[in-house]
Amino acid sequence: MAYSEKVIDHYNNPRNMGSFKKEEDGVGTGIVGAPECGDVMKLQIKVENDTIVDAKFKTFGCGSAIASSSLATEWLKGKTVDEAGEIKNTEIVQELNLPPVKIHCSVLAEDAIKAALNDYKKKAETEEKTEESAASAGA
Amino acid sequence: MSEHTHQPDSGRTRELPMARSMCWHCQSEMSGEYFCGRCVKVQPLSKELDYFTCLNLPRKLNLDEKALEETFYALSRSFHPDYYATKDEGQKAISLGNTALLNTAYRTLKDPMQRAEYLIRLEAGSAKDIRTSPPADLFDEILELQEDLDEFRSLSAEASDDRRQELLEKLQADRLTLEARKAHMEDRLREQFSRWDALPTEAEGDSAVQAQKDAVLTGMQEILSNRTYVKNIVNDLVAATSPTAEPGRSAWH
Repeated sequence: MAYSEKVIDHYNNPRNMGSFKKEEDGVGTGIVGAPECGDVMKLQIKVENDTIVDAKFKTFGCGSAIASSSLATEWLKGKTVDEAGEIKNTEIVQELNLPPVKIHCSVLAEDAIKAALNDYKKKAETEEKTEESAASAGA
Repeated sequence: MSEHTHQPDSGRTRELPMARSMCWHCQSEMSGEYFCGRCVKVQPLSKELDYFTCLNLPRKLNLDEKALEETFYALSRSFHPDYYATKDEGQKAISLGNTALLNTAYRTLKDPMQRAEYLIRLEAGSAKDIRTSPPADLFDEILELQEDLDEFRSLSAEASDDRRQELLEKLQADRLTLEARKAHMEDRLREQFSRWDALPTEAEGDSAVQAQKDAVLTGMQEILSNRTYVKNIVNDLVAATSPTAEPGRSAWH
């Protein structure tokens, strides 16, 4: 099947491939999979002052899944946490010209973004709570 | 389906969802036969015909493989394009179309895994309607294995250093473990086959039975999804660690 040039470019030169340490401060990790094809995607964000300063991914799957997550990390950088939540899979489909059979790859990328954001928020909340309890314990 | 059916009013005839309810050639009434009773012309199978009905099997998962085979061969013979070589274009096209559908139906039902996937799609409308929880532990495991695989692939075969050998042995052991797990998943799936087959077929509107059906379908979907993840990583392991493995791998699927 024919992939668009953009998909091939992201596949051959993936942006931001790699990972952060899960425990690191401000890091949110999302790991998702597509049961239809068995692809697995890990996407991580690094947040400072509510802004995503860095993003990384590792995807084990087809070219479209790799391209979708590579593009997602590019888009995430510089966005606030709220803005990042607005990214839609349809935008990825448009940008990469994904054919109908590969739309689920873009859905996977959107799910990964959401999972990473949720993980970040959950971590931030628990940190706040620990700080609060530490403060009240100290008082 | 069609508003202009010419079905007899008795309603007792076995209704097969055919493309037409009357013969395309002589317009005589039909009730789902593959050949017109009057002019003996072959009839087109409807695209909506489900594979179980097409092969005259009940919607069960432990199916009678002998019956499947026999019906397939019998229908193959009656639809075979060779027999229509001298017929008009309309009949040639029907013969080709029917043969294509029949082959897909047979291939799908013959393989137990594909059969289960197909049944879930049929019963749940679309497999996507069934949401299974993502197997977080399995994902972690897969990611870890993929890291090892990446490292292994990056070490050249000529170097044959200790690290490479160590990784190779680990990955080969992982492969065996995962293959055993895949086999175990398939066994568990077969247990669900029997559960499904034991449920009553005629249960329209019976919410208790529907709930049981949904539970079995979801259980099967879950096993099938996890099996796909395991199958993929096993394939990657085999490709990278077998002696004839090509360096690198293609992700173009």
